[in-house]
Amino acid sequence: MVVFCLFIISKSGGLIYNREFHAGMSKLTSNDYLMLAGSFHGMHAITKQLCPVPPTPVTPLSVAGAPAPSPFIGRPSGLEVLESSHFRMQCFQTLTGIKFLLFTEPQQPNVDVMIRRIYELYADYVMKNPFYTVEMPIRCEKFDRGLDGFVKVRS
Amino acid sequence: MTIYSFYIFDRHAECIYNRRWAAPPVPKSARPMSGSSMTSNGDHPAVRKGLSREDDAKLIFGLVFSLRNMVQKLGGDDDTFLSYRTAEYKLHYYETPTRMKFVMLTDTKQNNLRVALHQIWANLYVEYVVKNPLSPVEHPGGIGVANELFERGLDAFVTAVLPS
Repeated sequence: MVVFCLFIISKSGGLIYNREFHAGMSKLTSNDYLMLAGSFHGMHAITKQLCPVPPTPVTPLSVAGAPAPSPFIGRPSGLEVLESSHFRMQCFQTLTGIKFLLFTEPQQPNVDVMIRRIYELYADYVMKNPFYTVEMPIRCEKFDRGLDGFVKVRS
Repeated sequence: MTIYSFYIFDRHAECIYNRRWAAPPVPKSARPMSGSSMTSNGDHPAVRKGLSREDDAKLIFGLVFSLRNMVQKLGGDDDTFLSYRTAEYKLHYYETPTRMKFVMLTDTKQNNLRVALHQIWANLYVEYVVKNPLSPVEHPGGIGVANELFERGLDAFVTAVLPS
């Protein structure tokens, strides 16, 4: 199993974290990564607009398991998985609008579980870090190490 | 399996053919009214009604064009964009060597339709549009694409290969 890299995009479309775990994707300059993150932010918004069907209304059954009804149900979700011939990109948008992009091999199972675990790491080591300012690039050593451990254990 | 729509773009970024299939009836039990207070963000479903077919086609072209460029930048020049999926729909993409783009929107359960889009190009578009002596070489405004044989072939293909 190969995880190529992880991007975190803030709610205003800025790239706040990028990390390469495994070679296999093109090397770009950090400026290029910033531009890609910004344009992806816009494309994600367009994929929401293009939704041909109204999102499935919530049935009481599906709500039963959730701790509290989210104000975001009933809205189109936007891009979740992008497939290309070389990689597969999973996008997970949190309720606060931060996007986690994880690039893996095309035939990678259970990426959604992984990305949620990464979100947990983010919540633990970045959001709980008193020296971190939101919307700013993430420079937290513990988060880096946590990611390393997590990705290595799984591969 | 449901197919929502199908678009062909030529190499001049123009939509030369688009086709929509009827969406399944919307369930009457609409969203709870409590959601209506949260629509200040602007991306609620009501936004959809303001867009015409042409606008949709333009949006889709811009989107697949940028996604394709992004994929090529990240994965190298020989990487091709295949499809993307949201929670509500899936978009399939096929590009011919002449830069014509075939795009199809389906429900999320559909497997990759690249092969099917290739067949539409090879068996329908080439046969009925390219080989048609009355149709021009380029198709500004979609002239010559939406002929009877092509449309009927497309309908037959969709019902035969992609049964609902």
